[in-house]
Amino acid sequence: MKNPSVKFLFSFADWRSIAVLWRNTLVYLRNWRTNFIPPAMEPVLFFLAFGVGLGVHVDGMELHGKTIPYVTWVAPGLIAYTAFTTPFYEALYSAYVRMFYQKTWDGILATQVEVRHLIWGEILWAGLRGFMNSSIVCLVIAVFHFMGLIHIRVGLLPLLPPIVFLCGWTFAAFSLIFTALVPAINHMNYPTFLVGMPLGLTSNTYFPLSSDNPALQFLIELNPIYQLAEGARALLIPELPVAPLLHHSAWLALTTLTFLTLFGTIANKLIHKRILT
Amino acid sequence: MPGPETTTESSNTASPNTVPLLDAQGLTKSYGETTVVSDLHIQCHPGEVLGLLGPNGAGKTTTLRMLYGFVKPDRGTIQYQGRDFDQHRTDLKRMIGVCTQEDTLDHDFTVRQNLLVYARYFRPFTEDPKKRADELLERFHLQEHSKKKPMQLSGGLKQRVLIARSLIHRPKILFLDEPTTGLDPRARVELWQLIDDLRADGIAVVLTTHYMEEAEKLSDRLIVLQKGRRVATGTPQSVMGKVLGEQMIVIPKAAAATPEITSWVHDATGRTIEKVLGEFHIPLPLTTIGEFQAQFPDVRVTVRAPNLDDLFLRLSEGDLP
Repeated sequence: MKNPSVKFLFSFADWRSIAVLWRNTLVYLRNWRTNFIPPAMEPVLFFLAFGVGLGVHVDGMELHGKTIPYVTWVAPGLIAYTAFTTPFYEALYSAYVRMFYQKTWDGILATQVEVRHLIWGEILWAGLRGFMNSSIVCLVIAVFHFMGLIHIRVGLLPLLPPIVFLCGWTFAAFSLIFTALVPAINHMNYPTFLVGMPLGLTSNTYFPLSSDNPALQFLIELNPIYQLAEGARALLIPELPVAPLLHHSAWLALTTLTFLTLFGTIANKLIHKRILT
Repeated sequence: MPGPETTTESSNTASPNTVPLLDAQGLTKSYGETTVVSDLHIQCHPGEVLGLLGPNGAGKTTTLRMLYGFVKPDRGTIQYQGRDFDQHRTDLKRMIGVCTQEDTLDHDFTVRQNLLVYARYFRPFTEDPKKRADELLERFHLQEHSKKKPMQLSGGLKQRVLIARSLIHRPKILFLDEPTTGLDPRARVELWQLIDDLRADGIAVVLTTHYMEEAEKLSDRLIVLQKGRRVATGTPQSVMGKVLGEQMIVIPKAAAATPEITSWVHDATGRTIEKVLGEFHIPLPLTTIGEFQAQFPDVRVTVRAPNLDDLFLRLSEGDLP
């Protein structure tokens, strides 16, 4: 396994990656109430603000000859938004603190753990956080369904958090590149406001995104958040056709794996350069 | 450029026939145009404390970081027990313990948890990590602090926790980067005792230090670095003898050295003399001391053995004899 990308990818289940994941989990569990409840409230508030608050002022969405209430349409989008933002920010801020301020990574790398395992530990952990937060969102959506506020295939909701967990790997690998690059924590404003927020809000999550221009549409399709949001809609909203699910799933698998390999390899190289020189 | 290397290899604690635990040959590292470490050879045997000594920027920390795998050398080889570090990195890292200059403790955990979590970063870990952690806490007199967070500890205690943590997996060699920097004298002496105990356990210790007394007291052997090169190696006493001369004479402040003395010393030894707080410290061979006293009978001098402070002053001049 000389190829750095292959070496990186195959380290995901290494005992050392799991040891780092375990370390992050332990820290989280020490203060789980503080760590879990406030951040999980964010997507819930977004759902209330956009879905319920704004939704009543928005006419239904005309899709495939059917009218779908905005609040129903936005619910799967919110799962996709959470799937992106939770791992993205986890691997951005928390990882930076561990790397830069606490020097936790320096301590860990003085053991048998190598940079690629450290990165995988962070990626797996960020994915797990995505799993947790998206589970809360799914729970809220289910409650809304049972209250009769929206109508979805509620039995399929539990399928989504595991998918979010896997997609979160790619989003975490993406943000680890910024973690490796930013010189000081106030520079985090760049990836936060120029990358994280725009990508999260404009990837077909809160409003529909498509283009008649084939090149532009191809770019839109390359975005895994878009595929996740659209896939979740095809899965959950009974009025929409199920057939595109295959298309979205295939694109989601392809883009997440490709970007994971690419971003992970770059992050590995950059973090190596930043710490081990 | 530094002069020829002074070598006195008589003091190894292990027999010369045994394979060294650590054997690094020709280590070289450059950053851009600057060569930080140049063609360095280092060996360390079990139960030996090897001190890396040199002024700031001599390449001590970079050398250590190469040895424990944080920095890849541009040239040279590193072997542990005769096995190449590059090829058997994971296996060999299992036998290395590292204590960096910076506090790398996990501040999210208590002292005891720091040890337990660290144990997970090593495999195989055959013994009960809890038992091992408690054993180390007891040995390092940390039991009463075991439930505290590192932030609540003094510098000396933190350093003890760092060393205890680096021993959790029973390494065969321990790297200590300036272990007593910033500690008060009492904490420093306590740490010396701990390092001395490790030597007795047969652990090889490689340490860098700025403190002369520390290097003298702890090291079985010293490697003196200057501008990334090894300029001397041997026991602390032999290194100083070779580099500085056999004795130092000290001319007190009151008798401030006259230009005659300065020029006489320069003619006799080829060196300029060091001024420390108004006193003059002059390295002289035994035979020359008599000549000095005959030449300047009115100057009251004290004669003492050279120490590592003298060595540092010589090193900071840039050239060695």
